Amino acid sequence: MKKVISTIAVSGLATLMASTAFAAGETITINSFGGAYEKAHRACVITPFEEATGAKVQVVTAYSADAFAQLRAQAEAPQFDVIHFSGGQEIVGAKEGLLSPIDPASLSNAADLYDFAKANLAAGEGPAYSIAAIGLVYNSVTVPKEPASWSDLLDKAYADHIVLTDISNGYGMLGFLMLNKVKGGSLDNIQPGLDAVTELLDNGAIVVSTSPEIQQEFAQNDAWVAPYASDYAYTLRKAGLPAAFVQGKEGTPASFITANLVAGRDNQELALKFIDMSISAKAQACFAEQLRYSPTNAKVVLDGEVAADVAYGEEAVAGLIRFDPTVIEAKRSEWVDAWNRTIAR
Amino acid sequence: MSDRAENTLLVLPGLLLLALAFFVPITQMLVLSVSGENGPTLDHFTRFLGDPYYLNVLWRTVRLSLIITVICAAVGFPLAYIMARVGPRLRLWLIVLVILPLMTSVVVRTFGWMVLLSRSGLVPQVLRDLGLAERNFSIMQTELAIVIGMVQVLLPFMTLSILGVVTRIDRRLEEAARTMGCTFMQTLRTVVFPLAVPGIVAGSLLVFTLSASSFVTPNLLGGSRIQVLAASIYRSVTQTLDWPFAAAQAVILFAGILLILVPYARLAGGRSNG
Repeated sequence: MKKVISTIAVSGLATLMASTAFAAGETITINSFGGAYEKAHRACVITPFEEATGAKVQVVTAYSADAFAQLRAQAEAPQFDVIHFSGGQEIVGAKEGLLSPIDPASLSNAADLYDFAKANLAAGEGPAYSIAAIGLVYNSVTVPKEPASWSDLLDKAYADHIVLTDISNGYGMLGFLMLNKVKGGSLDNIQPGLDAVTELLDNGAIVVSTSPEIQQEFAQNDAWVAPYASDYAYTLRKAGLPAAFVQGKEGTPASFITANLVAGRDNQELALKFIDMSISAKAQACFAEQLRYSPTNAKVVLDGEVAADVAYGEEAVAGLIRFDPTVIEAKRSEWVDAWNRTIAR
Repeated sequence: MSDRAENTLLVLPGLLLLALAFFVPITQMLVLSVSGENGPTLDHFTRFLGDPYYLNVLWRTVRLSLIITVICAAVGFPLAYIMARVGPRLRLWLIVLVILPLMTSVVVRTFGWMVLLSRSGLVPQVLRDLGLAERNFSIMQTELAIVIGMVQVLLPFMTLSILGVVTRIDRRLEEAARTMGCTFMQTLRTVVFPLAVPGIVAGSLLVFTLSASSFVTPNLLGGSRIQVLAASIYRSVTQTLDWPFAAAQAVILFAGILLILVPYARLAGGRSNG
């Protein structure tokens, strides 16, 4: 037995050394989003990558918009090798030629991704390696009946136990756009959504502007239902609250987190390895485990409790809706203004 | 070195600081507020003044500031009078008591109110237990919450302004009024109050300007549904990224405060001189 273990250890060491020889001393620079996200990012991708390749990963903490601003500013001499976005910045970045097209054949895990996660690789939009799914976060103990669809929000039974999030918050925006879509609106017409919000407010719904306030409403004010991201139901549960997550049956708006290959860098091969690792079933399972982000790799296997919290499986991801991030960006200020008017007393 | 040169030297640091920290940003704001895509424009102002939504925000700001000022004066005047008339030891304690809140951050004080006023807070809870309110009753996110929070934050400014003036009022004037047959309240009304007017005016100016431009307390206690002008400026700067419009709103706030304060200060100033 002892011998077997040492054989495994030796062969493991050998592989490690072999790969180290390949990438020793090389460094790639990436961005991550800080806080709990960065911690999970390190545990799921960065550290395993460093161990497997012997390369060093330098992490710069920058949110999508900041990272994109830096990428643009550095167009002549880019400093990032892999850049992560959650707000759809890769669409613009690819159009501006800041990101390199990726040949799916160069990613060993690309074949396992759902189609939507790798739709525009050839254009330069990197693969989505996890998804924040927006659905209904609800209190599984006190709610009189479990919500199942977005239109349930307007059910008078929930009346003043509903918590809406201001659309200055990214998830609040997606939830609102979904409500708008359900009520017959579109990205060109958000009036149906605004009317629905007015109705909700008349029923007594509360508007909050940050996620900690949602927690407060659930903890202290007996909130029942809040349209928000699946990972937050988990955050609430970790705080000891009986929160559950359900995808609205009309569809699930999602924010894609993508890993993109920056153009004009000389160690793209290593960067591609990093991206490949991000989309691997193992890394995605780890993200789902730690943060409750939904996987985009069909091979990911999740156990019951984690699976219930995310959009899991072919059928669940088929309902994912991605509102065009470029349109959202272009109309944001107009919509925020209209929203403010609607909620103002 | 001549007197004049010395004076100039002494005033220079202050002037420089003012120029850098006040005039430069204000000028920039003024320029920004009239900047458009094709040269100078008044569009931002007409947009604000032609829109009932923003006019409502402006009106709420002015109305709440007035209410806060009046309450501060009504509470602050008697308080300052008593503080001026008690013994030195007690006065010290009262002053400490008034100043104490100023020593904690406004955010912390406001969070205190949030704890008391929110749905599960002490005040609504008691009202609910007494059967006077419904399950969802909350003072948070109402104008009342803003008024309560702001009065607490601003009362020291009013009290201390009045205190400074009342302590200098000659006590013999009150004694004279009492010997002439005035009751205590009449003395207060006909002697002390008119003499205290400069302090009340100074306090009101402070309280009004501070409350019209305050943003933390209204935002935390009023929530996103009750907008005041300062919060609306903040939103324009950080959320819709419409800086020229934010600058225009700031200019309107600035001009509005001036419009109200200048006549008030002159009126009251003329009265106390006469």
